[in-house]
Amino acid sequence: MRILRKLLTEKTAILAFVLLWEVVTRLGLVNQIFIPPFSKVVAAMWFLIQNGYLVKHTLISLERALGGFLLAAVIAIPLGLLMGGWFRRIQLVLNPLFEIAAQANPFILFHIVILFLGIGELAKVSIIAWICIWPILFNTAAGVRNVDSVLLRAAQSFGLNRRQLFFKVILPASAPAIFTGLRVSAGYSFFLLIAAEMMGSSSGLGWLILYSQENYNIQWIFAGATMIAILGLTMDTILQIIERRTVVWENGATDALR
Amino acid sequence: MKKYEAVVDRFLRYSGLVAFFVLWEAAPRLGWADPQFLPPLSAVLQSIYWLAVDGELYSHLIVSLWRALVGLMLAALVALPLGFILGARCPETARHLDPLFRLLSQVNPFSLAPVFMLCFGIGEISKLMTIALVALWPILFHTITGVRMVDPLLVKTARSLTVTRGVMVSEVLLPGAFPTIISGFRVATQMTVFMLIAAEMLGAAAGLGWLVHNSAMLSQIPRMYAGGAFIILLGIIINQILLKVERESMFWRECPGPVTDEVVRSLSGKTRSLYVAAFACAFAFVLICGSQEVRRVNIQGLHSDKTASHQHNHGGLVGPLRSD
Amino acid sequence: MTVQQTETARTIGKEDAKIFAQNIRRVYQIKSKDGGGITEFEAIRKLDLEVRAGEFFTIVGPSGCGKSTFLDMVAGLAKPSSGEVFIDGKLITGPALDRGIVLQGYALFPWRTVRKNVEFGLEVKKIPQKDRNEISQRFIELVGLKNFEDRYPHELSGGMKQRVAIARALAYDPEVLLMDEPFAAVDAQTRETLQEELLRIWEETKKTIIFITHGIDEAVFLSDRVAVMTANPGTIKEVVTINLPRPRHGIRSSAEFGWVRHKIWELLQNEQDGGGRPALPDQDVAAAISTTAAL
Repeated sequence: MRILRKLLTEKTAILAFVLLWEVVTRLGLVNQIFIPPFSKVVAAMWFLIQNGYLVKHTLISLERALGGFLLAAVIAIPLGLLMGGWFRRIQLVLNPLFEIAAQANPFILFHIVILFLGIGELAKVSIIAWICIWPILFNTAAGVRNVDSVLLRAAQSFGLNRRQLFFKVILPASAPAIFTGLRVSAGYSFFLLIAAEMMGSSSGLGWLILYSQENYNIQWIFAGATMIAILGLTMDTILQIIERRTVVWENGATDALR
Repeated sequence: MKKYEAVVDRFLRYSGLVAFFVLWEAAPRLGWADPQFLPPLSAVLQSIYWLAVDGELYSHLIVSLWRALVGLMLAALVALPLGFILGARCPETARHLDPLFRLLSQVNPFSLAPVFMLCFGIGEISKLMTIALVALWPILFHTITGVRMVDPLLVKTARSLTVTRGVMVSEVLLPGAFPTIISGFRVATQMTVFMLIAAEMLGAAAGLGWLVHNSAMLSQIPRMYAGGAFIILLGIIINQILLKVERESMFWRECPGPVTDEVVRSLSGKTRSLYVAAFACAFAFVLICGSQEVRRVNIQGLHSDKTASHQHNHGGLVGPLRSD
Repeated sequence: MTVQQTETARTIGKEDAKIFAQNIRRVYQIKSKDGGGITEFEAIRKLDLEVRAGEFFTIVGPSGCGKSTFLDMVAGLAKPSSGEVFIDGKLITGPALDRGIVLQGYALFPWRTVRKNVEFGLEVKKIPQKDRNEISQRFIELVGLKNFEDRYPHELSGGMKQRVAIARALAYDPEVLLMDEPFAAVDAQTRETLQEELLRIWEETKKTIIFITHGIDEAVFLSDRVAVMTANPGTIKEVVTINLPRPRHGIRSSAEFGWVRHKIWELLQNEQDGGGRPALPDQDVAAAISTTAAL
């Protein structure tokens, strides 16, 4: 029993899944035309890596996703800090607008943005940024608003000035919320980028998948899909690690809210 | 003084929106923006009106709603029981499966959409599967979390009363996890609407997403804005309803205040059952009328535009968009 | 555990004990932090106890001495690693409605009103709605919560919540009431009121009560007998009979009260000085207990 449990560590579920996939398809329980065996997917990935396709399009997609994500972070975190903190009136005016903007479907906006910016990289990056802004903004604002008032009073009793109060108390106290927002955004950005690339692009992983589909190359589709999943997971894990390094005191409480 | 402030606050709350709409109307009229690209608000409203009058809006709306609803229901059908079993019965297994679920939840449904199309054809099923796959993960994760976060003291109390497994689920776990599950549904719904619109843009013969896409292709810009505005409105309404349900369902989670004689109660039982009935009716309406409309639209699509469906077969990409 | 021992236990149990615990041992397995090694932590060792019918019996001890774990065993919510607990001479194998439990954190169902909370056990017992109403009303009034029947727990104060929990445990008429530090979370004044009310309820209902606390004062004020428990490993050091007259209103200032109180304090104090084995870090124990509970 103890040995069994030890065997069942983190990654075994994934391994078991992969094994099941391989066996089920090899035995012909599922048509190989629709779902190729895992080994063939790996072979396809290897082929795509060797001829440089996969790396090239992955880099392009990553560039777009990261560009949009970073742009959003740069805009949303300061804005969220301002909104959550001092300017209550401004927040009153902007909040309904933001609530609506957050609901604005990115694909609708995509069509509108294309009207103004044309169909270049800028359109794609700005649409990703648009998607990423809102979770970061709302979480940051909420984080600042929910800073424990006892903490603030205690800090004020030390005679901190506004600047010190901000950097020593408010910013660290709202960091967990900011990270939650960042992680949600990162997930969104990748999710929607693929669709955007399918809709209007001639490069990137989304396009690669579409191209494979047009050529009825199922193995390539699965290779691309696997690559996307791995990338998404990696991004999430990296953010999680950064979160743990910087927000040591939170004890993974934000994890439960994922 | 306080009254004055409340009035100012209310004014401020709506001033942003009003300013936005005024700007939208004024900018193209005053020549700050090209009316070709940004038609004034009045023109957009007018085209919404025309869409509503000739019944096109109803058709697209009900088709989109039907797809979203059925997709969500499919996801819930799998995610809820699974979440309860994993959360309540075998938390150890859930812990081991977590990495796999995290990986699978990162599988972009769009990357698999082509596979769905190959498996199920370009009909409704592949769209529904795409949507269900998006909605599955938030519901599953939230259900597991919700069930696991039910106060262990309550579970202990119920156990000491020798309740059956059924009572444990219906009287303790379900009500305890309900608010979390609802917020999972809210996330799922939002993602569903995003994805649905994209799916309809990529390959469909009807639906709000198609409406926008089609308008864009035909350069009917006001019509495109009208469809877009309508989708955004729809998203806001659905989100607000779910937020309301979420808040209602966790009335008991509010922080304890001082005990007073005056009890601020949310909804009384009667109004609540009225709301539930209204919801059920709306659901039934969307399900029944939606399925009819979808069938009608699909048959029509088969007969009228063979070329279009041929194009959809190849991913639904339309010329001008691909020219980069 | 041999058959013979079980037999003797049964005979003793049948004759004069309501609750009879014999040679209880509870061991937790703890994964050590540095690797795969597993150490054993003995939470309870060789615990013997008998509680008479109608008695107010209190177990007092430092935190982590296993007193709550023992109560869970009596409730049938946990199993001893070895040893047995009997009620009326019958071996306890699981929870049953002859024992009611009141926990420290109230454990009220927050989505049920006061009345519905009190009726929960009655629903499980499948008592018809009409009788349910009558019974719940009686117990709500017994704990002094008339006119609060339709409130939700979040609209009540801590003391009121604890009254609801007591009413709920009493409503389905268990023979034994198990109370796990029920008054720990309420303020000092409310606590004293609740203690007096609990005594009144106990005298009215003639239940057997096993009460867990770490407050010596509380233990002496309430009980017929007090068992002093020590930690590492948890076992009963001494059972002190409290011969103070009842009713005990205002007895706290008397010399006898102070004397008994001091005696128990000394028993607990010696324990702390005496050392025993070094305690394990709290976190490890808690983690081990929670994983065991999950299984």
